[in-house]
Amino acid sequence: MTAVEAPVQEAVADDWAAPSLSDAEYRWRARRYRFRTVRRAAGFLSPYLLIWSVFLAIPAVWGVFLSFNQGGLIKGDERVFVGFDNWTRAVGDSELRTAVKNTSIYVVIAIAVVFTLAIFLASLLNHYKKGSNFFKVALYFPLLAPPILGALMWFFMVNFDFGILNLLKRSVFGGDGVAFLGDNPHALLTIVAVEVWRGLGFWVLFYLAGLQSVPEELQAAARIDGAGKWRRFRRITVPTLRPLLLFALVIAVIFNFQLFDSVKVLTDGGPRLGTATVVWFIHKRLFAFQDTGLAYAASIGLLIVVLILTGLSFWALGKRRQREA
Amino acid sequence: MTTDVPETDVTVTAAPEESSDAVAMAERLAEAGRARRASDRTRKIIAYVILTLFVVIAIGPAFYLISPAFRDSVSLFTYPPEWIPSEPTLENYRFLFSSTSYVRWAVNTLIFAGSTTLLTLATNTMAGYAFARLRFPGRNVLFFVILATLMVPVAAVLAPTYLTVNTIGDWPIIGNWIDIDTYLGLILPSAVSPLGVFMMRQFIETLPDGLYEAARLDGASEWRIFTKIVLPLIKPALVVLGIFVFMLTWASYLWPLVAATDNEFRVLTVGIASLKGQFVTDWGILAAASLLTIVPVTIVFLFFQKWFVQASMAGALKQ
Repeated sequence: MTAVEAPVQEAVADDWAAPSLSDAEYRWRARRYRFRTVRRAAGFLSPYLLIWSVFLAIPAVWGVFLSFNQGGLIKGDERVFVGFDNWTRAVGDSELRTAVKNTSIYVVIAIAVVFTLAIFLASLLNHYKKGSNFFKVALYFPLLAPPILGALMWFFMVNFDFGILNLLKRSVFGGDGVAFLGDNPHALLTIVAVEVWRGLGFWVLFYLAGLQSVPEELQAAARIDGAGKWRRFRRITVPTLRPLLLFALVIAVIFNFQLFDSVKVLTDGGPRLGTATVVWFIHKRLFAFQDTGLAYAASIGLLIVVLILTGLSFWALGKRRQREA
Repeated sequence: MTTDVPETDVTVTAAPEESSDAVAMAERLAEAGRARRASDRTRKIIAYVILTLFVVIAIGPAFYLISPAFRDSVSLFTYPPEWIPSEPTLENYRFLFSSTSYVRWAVNTLIFAGSTTLLTLATNTMAGYAFARLRFPGRNVLFFVILATLMVPVAAVLAPTYLTVNTIGDWPIIGNWIDIDTYLGLILPSAVSPLGVFMMRQFIETLPDGLYEAARLDGASEWRIFTKIVLPLIKPALVVLGIFVFMLTWASYLWPLVAATDNEFRVLTVGIASLKGQFVTDWGILAAASLLTIVPVTIVFLFFQKWFVQASMAGALKQ
């Protein structure tokens, strides 16, 4: 910033402050200077701002307006203003309720499982450093494939006839196989498993980075004072990770709340809405072109939730920064 | 996932208690010291067994595709299972290339992800530079407003974005380029995320002021400073952001699903997912397509793994 100001101050010194300038001319020059700074910034900002406003900001605002309308997504279907009708119906709609319920169950289980496993594996990797690079790379592997492909791999793994999980189940426990995607509690749990499998590598690396930021001297000092391993974990590692944990939790909720890809390809919301999620509901209502008004309202509901969580994540990040400083 | 849960419980509870005892004893008795070394070794073995188990779970599903990809789908259903196909065949691949649009989807994916990445890099770096280096009225307000849209889900703006693209499609001339079922209609709404703007702003702010002052004294214009001084210095950040955006874009599904319905503009994710619907029983083709898609990415990843890992962390930590 100082770099920008420096030449300006020079200009003030040998030009603007000259007594010969009238008030009007001074104002004109100040305006010209302001115009130039705006023009210069606009040159750099306009490409991004154009795309951002046309394809993100304006649609977001338009979406709020749409949530008071019905239809109008395809040609020949007139948009009708319906006031708060969508919102009142959205609260009572049983399909949307099921979707919100499923999504919440999914978010809670998936995050609890993936965080527990990730913190556990990260502390293992932090302690046993030999070969940790290999393990990190291997654990990261599921993130390479698009969610769709990850889900399709599991489509083979959980197949009733030749999926390895059912082959194992039959040979170890006997009896018939498990319909992983065809029964109700199973289907959502299978989705949880697929998403945990996919996200685990990321969270392991995330927490490993956090663990490695715990100062070595602190650990050594505690060890000399006779603190056991568990005590050191409770008193040193956990307090260091806590601000990180809050931030991680918020962004994990934001991402997982948008569960769609694996549901769409594995179960398409079934069986009997057992894996219906909020984004699945929005997509289905919009592009089956039936009762789009409910989807408009649900979209804005999702938007509001995510904006609040985004604010929370920045607050958490700010707290972490403060602590570091 | 069901197989690993008991393993986890065992070590989590076992590790702490044995250590606090062992540490104290080891200082006094040599015998206890030997015991500790023994228990250390056991613990080490358990730790590596667990890690290996998770590695098997992580990469196993990909290997499970290999056998079905090279055999007739009917033979999958024989019992007991036949792991190595008795009659390996390339029939699935022949079908994939001759009777589906796999090649078209792959080309579209490269166009889609490549253009989105280049566009994002260009616009985000310029905007990041403006926020880091230039002073203009309303800078902080504008930055905050853009910041607020960082996490806006695709699904939350799906309908209005679809309508926007559709509406632009009705306009004269520009509508030929931006519409549903056009490349730009696919690309532009995928290049909106402000993550790169923040990354680049952070990165450019760390460059020393002296660089700019020297250039400005020499009479260089802002654009010249940007292209000749700043860009060469932020190459590492550009690579990280580029990999991140590319990986995110080619894996995306929801927007391509609604914006490219015509097979001519379909990308791999949508195309492969449609194979599942079209050929419910043709497991061989599904496996062949999935495998063929994963293998090249894996090879690239193994060469550039350091960059990849950095890029994936960039999204979460470098804000």
